[in-house]
Amino acid sequence: MVEIKFLAQVDTEKCTGCGKCANVCPTQAIQVKDKKAQVEDPQCLACPNCVDICPEEAIRKIPRVEPLVFGVDYREVDQTELVELCRKAHLHPQQWLCLCTATRVRDGAAAVLKGAKTPEEIALMTGIRSGCSAYCLMTSMRLLEAYGVELEQPKGYRWYKTTQTLWNVSEEMIKKYPGYFLEEDKDVFRPF
Amino acid sequence: MLNKASPSVIRDSRYGPPVGKRAADLPGMVGLGVAAIFPDIPKALYVEGGDVSIIRKATESALENVKIDMIRPQHTVNILTSQYGFMIMGGYAYAEMVKTIKEVIERKTGCSNIRLRVATGFRIREPEEIIRHYKLDEFFKGKASPALFLEKGVPIETELGTMYGLAKIYDADWIIHAHHGELRELDMHRMMNRAIKPFSMSYARMETRSIHHMNFGPRSSNIIPKLIFESPFVQSKFTFGCFLQTSPQGIIGVDADNDMYAIDRRLMVLAFKSYGKIRELYNEIRECIAVMDGPGEPRYMIGGGTTFGNLTEAELDLFDLDNIPVSLGYGLYQYPPHQPKLKSVNPSIKALVMNHFWLGVPQLELASHIPTILVGMDMADLVASDSMNHKFIDYVVTAGNLETAMTFARRLANTDKVIAFDGAFGAITCSEPLAEYFIERAPVVSERVDNQLMPGWLRQRGIDPATVNV
Repeated sequence: MVEIKFLAQVDTEKCTGCGKCANVCPTQAIQVKDKKAQVEDPQCLACPNCVDICPEEAIRKIPRVEPLVFGVDYREVDQTELVELCRKAHLHPQQWLCLCTATRVRDGAAAVLKGAKTPEEIALMTGIRSGCSAYCLMTSMRLLEAYGVELEQPKGYRWYKTTQTLWNVSEEMIKKYPGYFLEEDKDVFRPF
Repeated sequence: MLNKASPSVIRDSRYGPPVGKRAADLPGMVGLGVAAIFPDIPKALYVEGGDVSIIRKATESALENVKIDMIRPQHTVNILTSQYGFMIMGGYAYAEMVKTIKEVIERKTGCSNIRLRVATGFRIREPEEIIRHYKLDEFFKGKASPALFLEKGVPIETELGTMYGLAKIYDADWIIHAHHGELRELDMHRMMNRAIKPFSMSYARMETRSIHHMNFGPRSSNIIPKLIFESPFVQSKFTFGCFLQTSPQGIIGVDADNDMYAIDRRLMVLAFKSYGKIRELYNEIRECIAVMDGPGEPRYMIGGGTTFGNLTEAELDLFDLDNIPVSLGYGLYQYPPHQPKLKSVNPSIKALVMNHFWLGVPQLELASHIPTILVGMDMADLVASDSMNHKFIDYVVTAGNLETAMTFARRLANTDKVIAFDGAFGAITCSEPLAEYFIERAPVVSERVDNQLMPGWLRQRGIDPATVNV
């Protein structure tokens, strides 16, 4: 389970409505309306992005009265389906999905099996992307793609659809670059 | 051989606590000269506190043979930098190299529209702090700017499909790659394309950094910077690279070239010579207390001229490409059969004292594997609110000050061997008993590296040891 103890708060006096915060919010918790940023409370995971990107220093983190608790119990989904999804994504169920929150891939996979269709939805079910917000984005996209979800590039630059892995490297490239262990390194990922 | 320890200065940052007492000031801590134990490690021309005009002269000299006539007076140029260069010995040498590059380009080409880009890891405000601290915006006439992993991207078509650089990095006619040769994270780069790694890290969007870090293996990941660097888009803008050359002694020179693979080869040989022995010396440690006492995140904090990451993974020879690390803290890799078992964190570190460090990377593996003591409530408050380490605070204890933290650590670890990662180059800040142990083990290490390990490292990278003056 991931506890979110803070919440982003906008100082509307300072906010110029530039929208930079909305572009870096991993859960679309920020909308710019009437030239002011607004934070949707239950969607804010209190990552550092909006606070640190704001050129006016108009956003700060404040403690929540009660922490928000996120988490998906992977045992609630069909375990065969879960393992199959992870296998397709070339991700071990027990490897880290998000090191910041100590969340494992199996939890993200369970979120997908429970209906998450975007990286944002996985984040709001599991609590991931509340830290660096970066590495778990990649794992989320890989799980969604493996499940057959057609990822649709959001407007702006919240994320870019690009998920190349070792398993996308062609035979031609493997032969072209023999010193890079492009075939051999597949074996060092945990088999399951 | 044993001198007063001289830690690096710590720059003020919102990501760290106020600077307090330093580990070097504790009774019994000494500075063990690197040259005294390994006289063949390349000597420094600059160490912290020295005259930076030496760096200026070395940069000017290195740039003399670099082709820059593609830059015309009406063009725009971005000098690309990374935050870590500004952490090496206070950052003044790196800042001086960058300033000199600008002045040489202006003087030789007549181009005046030269901008500075400062890239970083996850500390979003850090480039601003750097630009302010070194007065770079004034120097670049208002044209110094951060380049952040979550800002607007620019597509880069590669042999492996589209990847994304940072738009601010590439928004000029030409780019200059201003970097350094400090070893930093050997577990990632393995001295394969080390010189161009920033093209898939510092200069890349977070998705591309993730492809490098997570979607490829411990050796194969190093093809990603190559694919990006060799893309028509990057090649259409690339001019040359200019690097601070380092060893555990300090800055040993400046290297510049239009051919990045030539720089890479020189860096590789230099890394083996410079860092091979210090890494092996750390591999000799059987028990110690490590003290974090500098700027940056623990993994990248310098002790004895090399990063803490090289102690946490010292028990595996990461220059050896046949070795496959299972580290990274991400749990990505299996324990390969017939390979040495590498723990998440080197078990010779019996306790960790966090006197000063900066937030900025996920590092739960430290606290969850080593008994860890935070120093002071300012540090504890920072850690408790760190969104990149939700559970870190649950694994650690807090001591009121450095002295009590050390007393507790000694009782816990039952050792008097202490090593501090305090940014020092040229000397290892450590307790006298550990210094004596290092002095005893250094000849064994030196022999092992020269006669057993170095030839293998070179051969694996296609270099005949007989052709290299090591």
